Amino acid sequence: MRVPGSLVVVLLIALGVVPAAAQTTETEALRREIEQLRRQQEQYQKTIDALAERLKKLEAAPAPAPAAPAPPVAQAPSTPSSQTAPLSPADLARPRQPFSLYQQRGSGQLLFDIGIAGDFVGNLTQRNVEKAGGGTFSGRENRFFPREVEVGFFGQIDPYARGEVRIETGEDEPGGEMRVNLAEAHLTLVTLPYGTQLKLGQMRNRFGWSNQFHVHDLPWVDVPDVYRVFFGEEGLVEKGVEATWVPDFLPFYVQVLGGVFNGDNEAAFGRGRLTTPLATGRVVTFVELTDTMALQVGASVASGETPDRLRRTLVGYDLKFKYRPDGWLHPLLTLASEGIYSQTDERFGWYGAAEVQPWRRWSFGARYDSTQYPDAPGRQWAVEPYVSFFPSEFLRFRLAYKHTEKSHRDVSDLLGNGGSSRIADELFLQATFILGAHPAHPF
Amino acid sequence: MSTRTRLFVLLVALAALVAVPSAQAARKLRVVATIPDLKSLAEAVGGDLVEVDSLTRGTQNFHEAEVRPSMMLKLRRADAVIENGLGLDAWADVAITGSNNADLMAGGRGRIDISRGIQVLEVPTTRVDRSMGDVHPQGNPHFSLDPGLAPVITQNIVDGFARLAPEHRAAFEQNRKSFLAKLDGRMAEWTKLMEPVKGSKVVVFHPVYIYFLTRFGLVQAAALEDRPGIPPSPQHLVNVIRQIKEERIKVILVEPWNDVKLANRVAEEAGAKAFVVASAVGAVKGADSYIAAIDYTVNTLAQALR
Repeated sequence: MRVPGSLVVVLLIALGVVPAAAQTTETEALRREIEQLRRQQEQYQKTIDALAERLKKLEAAPAPAPAAPAPPVAQAPSTPSSQTAPLSPADLARPRQPFSLYQQRGSGQLLFDIGIAGDFVGNLTQRNVEKAGGGTFSGRENRFFPREVEVGFFGQIDPYARGEVRIETGEDEPGGEMRVNLAEAHLTLVTLPYGTQLKLGQMRNRFGWSNQFHVHDLPWVDVPDVYRVFFGEEGLVEKGVEATWVPDFLPFYVQVLGGVFNGDNEAAFGRGRLTTPLATGRVVTFVELTDTMALQVGASVASGETPDRLRRTLVGYDLKFKYRPDGWLHPLLTLASEGIYSQTDERFGWYGAAEVQPWRRWSFGARYDSTQYPDAPGRQWAVEPYVSFFPSEFLRFRLAYKHTEKSHRDVSDLLGNGGSSRIADELFLQATFILGAHPAHPF
Repeated sequence: MSTRTRLFVLLVALAALVAVPSAQAARKLRVVATIPDLKSLAEAVGGDLVEVDSLTRGTQNFHEAEVRPSMMLKLRRADAVIENGLGLDAWADVAITGSNNADLMAGGRGRIDISRGIQVLEVPTTRVDRSMGDVHPQGNPHFSLDPGLAPVITQNIVDGFARLAPEHRAAFEQNRKSFLAKLDGRMAEWTKLMEPVKGSKVVVFHPVYIYFLTRFGLVQAAALEDRPGIPPSPQHLVNVIRQIKEERIKVILVEPWNDVKLANRVAEEAGAKAFVVASAVGAVKGADSYIAAIDYTVNTLAQALR
């Protein structure tokens, strides 16, 4: 049989077209499948993005409280600030909570702590002491006054430094205008190597232990006489740089400190120039006698020039012992003593104090002061028993009696107004509160 | 220098080169935990690769620990500090700053916060202030007493340790797994033991146990402190005594550092019994590890509530 050539051609074309058509169909199917997978992938990606966004929001928001007994907090309607929907006229008309720092902080917007400390003192003394202006709170005898109201800001500046600023005011003279002072402003570089730190700015110097504290944090109504006599009412507060080192190779704690300051303190130095700076140093160690008893021992030195270019060098010691029975929230017994010796003037002053706190809210104590005057002959001594009542950690009342005897009359006693403060009996009432954050103090 | 001397010096130098890295490799990770519960969990995770110390003892109130320079010395020598967070051990910041240890400062590589990822209870949903006492704005911080949260806590510890010693991550993970397996076994026993008393009401002195009670299905009916951290008022105690009597509550839980005498007086007046329980590792005799502490409290409650 002869096959026509045209038929062969047709068959050949058909044979070629069928696989080609099948291939086209398969390609189309694959393309559709790929497209479908792509769409699915896009859908998954969208789901992942949505879930990630939701997770981000949940992590940013405070954790929800589960169905557990709620803390004793007052129930209040949520504030408009917590809602994202626009406020309706009815919302605007509704009474709202006042501006609250806590809420700012809770939402992570406030990146540092703020605290306010208020310290009020009332004192009663003899009329002749008031006339001479020779009481512990000179010029404010027989008054009740705000001694120190302080606003403190503190926190981490960045990963490398912490900052602290304290601004204070208080009554310096009866009825006088109260000035606002910069009490402290400093930064501390906390990530330096080899166990070192550097503090720069205006600060309460670490000379002894009580000088580091603001008056509202002291365990007594007034600053110990030795610090008031050698450094003035404010204590040693200077502008400069202080470096500390804590070695890690010793079997016990030691902190070594060195500082360079202007020397502005008028009572002890007063030259106020970095070309002839006030140099300070301190070594402090700590001995844990038992789990319940501990002793801190420190030695300090400060050497600077007076305006008359006379070099004055002061050395000091400080001791603090605490006995805190196991499980107690407060120490049962605290003993403390500090002393300052002026090498230049060969004058010495010290105090010794004891405090017993048998109950959480009550403490009883007494301080004995004895000090010579660095710039004048004579000495004074005083004894001051006191009782403190703490309704809470943030509120304290203190009642104290102080008997002071001076070996010589003060210059102020010779004003000719009949005043004399050679012997003074004073009754103090102190009320102290803390609002907001307040940093804990070591030992 | 003779050839023998040169050879000797070379050998000493080589020995030193070999010895220094091996000594470093052999050195354990020095870890300080702020509270003993975390010390126990860190030891479980770290095993032989870590040396762990605690800044406080179980008999202390962790809210108000006194910052001692001896804490600063421990922290000065440490590679890592493990903190509870949520404001329980905020005092540790002062000790850490005083330690002059750059690695432990805020954001440092040696800082391990174990509260990450914890489902926090008692988070105030409204404005709080100090008239309400020592309320923690971020929620109740006593979550370490819930053994059900140990997986989250130990994972945070593993991550922290692995940041400092990545070569030991597998070992830390393995230790964690072994510990959690052991804990799971005990958890089954504890759940069984507490099953008959599920739903029972207890009174606490300070709100320390909410995580523990929630885990085992118990109910905190009242607290002796009307406001956390503030000594209770007589009127509040009268109300609590009345409630204990009316609801026939059998148990008052108290921490060893709290006013145990007062808890006993209230219990006596109300016809209940006060129990000093393991509010932390080391709080009572026998509670010298994490599992032992939970075991002590579970057994005490299971017996007392029957």
